[in-house]
Amino acid sequence: MRVATDVGGTFTDLVYYTNDKATGRPELRSAKVDTTPPGFERGVMAAIAKAGIAPADFAFFSHGTTIVINALLSRKGAKTALITTRGFRDVLEIARGNRPDLFNFYFRKPPPFVARSLRTEITERVDYQGRVLKEPALDELPALVKQLSAEGVESIAVCFLHAYINPVNEQAVVARLQQLWPTVSIIPSHEVTREWREYERTSTTVLTAYVHPVAKRYLEKLRGELERGGFRGAPYIMQSYGGIETLEAVARNPITMVESGPASGVLGAIALGRVTGDHNVIALDIGGTTAKCSLIDRGSAKVTTDYKIEWTRTNPGYPIKTPVIDIVEIGNGGGSIAWLDEGQRLHVGPQSAGADPGPAAYGRGGTKPTTTDAQLVAGRIDPRNLLGGEIRADMDNVKRAFEPLVKHLGGSLAEVARGVIRIADANMVNALKLVSINRGYDPREYSLLAYGGGGAMHAVALAAELQVPQVIIPVNSAVFSAWGMLLTDLRRDYLRTRVTPLTTSSPGAIAEVYDDMANHALAQFKADGIDLQRVRLERFADMRYLGQEHTVKVRFPDGQFTKESLAEARARFDEAHERGYTYKLPHDVQIVNFHVVGYALVDKPELPKIPAARGPASTAIRSRRQVDFDQHGLVDTPIYDRLALGSGAELVGPAILEEPAATTVVPPGMKVLVDEYGNVRVKVS
Amino acid sequence: MSTTDPYTIEIIRSSLEAIGDEMFSALQRTSMSPIIYETLDFSVGVTDASGDLITQGNGTTVFLAMIDSLVRDILAKFGSKGEIHPGDVFMSNDPYEGGGTHLSDFGLVSPVFHQNELVAFVVNKAHWVDVGGKNPGSFSTNATEIFQEGIQVPSVKIIARGAVNEQILEIIAANIRLPKDSMGDFWAGVAANRVGERRIVELFAKYGRDAVLEAKEQLLSYGETMIQKDLAALPKGVFTAEDWIDDDGITSAPLRVQVKVTITDDEFVADFTGSAPQAQGPINNSRTGLVSAVRMIFKALTNPHIPANAGCFRMVKVVCPDSTVFTAKRPAPVSTYWETQMYAVDLIWKALAPHVPQRLTAGHQLSVCAVILAGTHADTKEFALLVCPLVGGWGAGINQDVESGQFSAADGETYNIPVEITEARYGVLVEQYAFHNEAGGAGEYRGGRGVVMDYRVRTDDFVLTGSFGRFKYPPWSMNGGQTGSPNMLQVLRTDGTTETYGKIAGLPLRKGDVVRMITAHGGGVGDPKKRPIERIREDLHNGFITPAQVQSDYGLSL
Repeated sequence: MRVATDVGGTFTDLVYYTNDKATGRPELRSAKVDTTPPGFERGVMAAIAKAGIAPADFAFFSHGTTIVINALLSRKGAKTALITTRGFRDVLEIARGNRPDLFNFYFRKPPPFVARSLRTEITERVDYQGRVLKEPALDELPALVKQLSAEGVESIAVCFLHAYINPVNEQAVVARLQQLWPTVSIIPSHEVTREWREYERTSTTVLTAYVHPVAKRYLEKLRGELERGGFRGAPYIMQSYGGIETLEAVARNPITMVESGPASGVLGAIALGRVTGDHNVIALDIGGTTAKCSLIDRGSAKVTTDYKIEWTRTNPGYPIKTPVIDIVEIGNGGGSIAWLDEGQRLHVGPQSAGADPGPAAYGRGGTKPTTTDAQLVAGRIDPRNLLGGEIRADMDNVKRAFEPLVKHLGGSLAEVARGVIRIADANMVNALKLVSINRGYDPREYSLLAYGGGGAMHAVALAAELQVPQVIIPVNSAVFSAWGMLLTDLRRDYLRTRVTPLTTSSPGAIAEVYDDMANHALAQFKADGIDLQRVRLERFADMRYLGQEHTVKVRFPDGQFTKESLAEARARFDEAHERGYTYKLPHDVQIVNFHVVGYALVDKPELPKIPAARGPASTAIRSRRQVDFDQHGLVDTPIYDRLALGSGAELVGPAILEEPAATTVVPPGMKVLVDEYGNVRVKVS
Repeated sequence: MSTTDPYTIEIIRSSLEAIGDEMFSALQRTSMSPIIYETLDFSVGVTDASGDLITQGNGTTVFLAMIDSLVRDILAKFGSKGEIHPGDVFMSNDPYEGGGTHLSDFGLVSPVFHQNELVAFVVNKAHWVDVGGKNPGSFSTNATEIFQEGIQVPSVKIIARGAVNEQILEIIAANIRLPKDSMGDFWAGVAANRVGERRIVELFAKYGRDAVLEAKEQLLSYGETMIQKDLAALPKGVFTAEDWIDDDGITSAPLRVQVKVTITDDEFVADFTGSAPQAQGPINNSRTGLVSAVRMIFKALTNPHIPANAGCFRMVKVVCPDSTVFTAKRPAPVSTYWETQMYAVDLIWKALAPHVPQRLTAGHQLSVCAVILAGTHADTKEFALLVCPLVGGWGAGINQDVESGQFSAADGETYNIPVEITEARYGVLVEQYAFHNEAGGAGEYRGGRGVVMDYRVRTDDFVLTGSFGRFKYPPWSMNGGQTGSPNMLQVLRTDGTTETYGKIAGLPLRKGDVVRMITAHGGGVGDPKKRPIERIREDLHNGFITPAQVQSDYGLSL
């Protein structure tokens, strides 16, 4: 049995494949329980119990959790100290010195995770070429350990200048620290990131050290519980860059799971595309508070290390240089509040009514109009079917909530609701443009794959706006993220900053770095008992024109390193630069970061097909109601039970397709086809 | 009367505002110069066909009048003769007409057409690392005429209907020290404009001319409405301040400057009459720079958060006779204009801080604290040209300590250059980057801490230029707080001697010399004796103050 669990902020989801007793066909089942902070493992075990399955039967177990991001955002990590090169302990607090809130003279930087009294220095130095200028003064460590242990420190980050190119001084200090203080967590920078820029690397190391004790304890408890339940395999943990990793490796470097939830949805989209042949996809996940999107080009999503927590337009946030799937997130979801500013401009989000009090329609004390309320007014959501039928919408409260907007903007309630939906859609269109048009990708060449509670509701309108030709609403769109974890391979990213001329280097010099990284990767896979037959390596390079600073990531050719393969790499860079920035240059090209991705292929379940449609789609019509389709006005619309539509079913909008946790809105004239796997495909015209 | 529904108008307005962000990112990501891609010393913007600012993307705060005045200059010179066509790009670095800064900032202006009608301009203005002149890095503290400060390009058509004027580019390239980098920056600028142009064309195509123009008008009146509300909340009356600029870099005499701010229900008038005349040295500022300065502090005072457009500044008036240090005329040298421009900001700040304390803190380091180090890279043997500003301490607020180690108000979304990149790119060794413990800034609310940074040069031919204003007149305090500490530049020679400067140009350095840059602590607010003992204890524990300062500044012994 193959099982995946996803611990979210509110619910813990479990999905698994089992063979249907009657038909022998693999079937996806799921269970949902409350998340149980701070002992999150209890929720996982409760979900297993609720599903009525036993760890002893698990052939594969994969797990995603918000524990790292929660510890960071709620500041519930360990008391952390920092050791830096002498003269540089304030790098963490100075940060980059920027003030994104330009005209706010009371601007405050986000406070450092380590106070100055716990930021210590030792004498040591490596230069930018990796030469050791000063051996580390290990005799300074005993006094330092004494000081930090007296302060009650639980975790230590060690970050020295230029350790990304030569970590020997960090290694020596860590080895000595471990002897002096075996019980403390120690995180050296070179084990979490090998990129230059000391502030970003220090920040990454500090945040890793901050969450390390918490994450390690959690993972060990989870493993203990699973083993007690009879699980005999190795649990895998979902990673931010869209792969899984062994529990042991994650316990050493837990920051890699900081964005595991969103990443697994994107992975699900990639995995689904592999089966259905949809390799160019924009993945869109609309939840209660945010919408997240990511572009999948030729079957792969971009992974970057330009990740920050708590970043906003006016807050620099905290950088974490860990590979994360490139996701654009905006504050627009089902619970986003519509409001007027002092200049009478209408905005939707980023403030959200969340799950509590929730939209006005929930009748739980929400007094502000949200996107969900607007959708109810427009008739797109069945008032009797809110939250999967748990709640009946309080439409009087919805009307009251809209009153101030109706008064200021004029027009009818229906017009205002339509306007709110239009602005929410425009916000999401802007996010979708950020991952497509703005990066040189033409949305007309992609499909829009939408999931999460609100994905199906907005997707067709968004696609029409962007001229995306097809919308796909996958089966199980509400648990799509957890499902993605069942279909992912083990993946490890290795990144090294080594500024190297591409144009004038010999193939041998480039080969040397990649080969060294490949050998390191293979040795690690081997040490973890992974069959090297199942390991596949891919090369990437972050490149730039000589003189530039920022880089563009390019897939580096496989195979032998030759003059031709270097020329091919250059051509790929020119093309990518022109795509992103409208021009290319004859300048020399440099590689800044060498990037190797190692995949260990995991057995995956086959995607089950659904039975063929029997009779016309109209047999799935359950009711009819008036639905507001914006420029088409109010239209009498059939409401279909999505789960009653078989493979090959076809219908034409206007239509509403309902399933327990999602509603697909199909405007008049658009054609819908249900494919053999049960995915709903809307041809956008 | 509106013909387009309010929701569509809102969507167009947001799209217009988003164009600035996208142009900004395009320029940053492709630039060849750290002063652009790290320090973000540049600005992008969109104006309407008449030059009214629609949206602006800023790395720095003090370019707020630079985008529209550049367009007006192009309109006056080319528009009147019918010489603006699709595919044209205009270029200018003129400090006096339109530009408003110094020769180092190159502006690029592209007209945008919809069905053969000129509908907008897209603009960017970015600091090139070198534009020629007598000193590497081009700005100096002792030029006496603009001719010493680099090549002058007074609004020329560099691309005509898509065809690049290679001859002009060749002339520019021959007159600057890093032509390859700067030509890269030129193309990055052209690309940023293309990105903006494309978006505007798409908007017109999609929503139609009338809807977009209506959305534009509403955007401007929205800016005006919002700011009028904030102006109404400001105290009314006449507010004055005076201060002293250290010197002009040629003689050691200080220059007196002053402001009289008059706030009424519908106007904000800043009158600088009475300030020192145009100086011999390059601290001169031009009139456009002065307007930018007033707009900047006005924005901070009224509404720091709404996007800036022409509507936001309709109630601002700037009064100042010609030929003062704030309004210098050709051919006055202007290459370190920002020191004086920031005095214009700081004078209004100082005049109004006691009356609008929820928006304005005590005095901060003020100076951008810029240094230029030029010489041979110790390892690559190539010419290295390091230009960077430095973070410092901000003044305390009326009810809180404010920030340490942050760029001057003149900067903004400005990033320090990482030590690891500095060492690789310029071949110097950075020996410390830390908060320091110089005296100053004590108070009930303590001034933010300044920093010290050391560069050790590793070859014999480096020269140093640096401009550290507020070397003689440290940041001001409020309500009985202590003034901050001064900005200063030191050279620690290998023979053990130390030289200290506020301004220096082209100073030769030898292998092993250390350049030590020390930035100001901000001014304190309130009597230090009123500072709670636990805050003093915490500062001591964190090493922000020394045991001696606990005694001398706070009268305690802990």
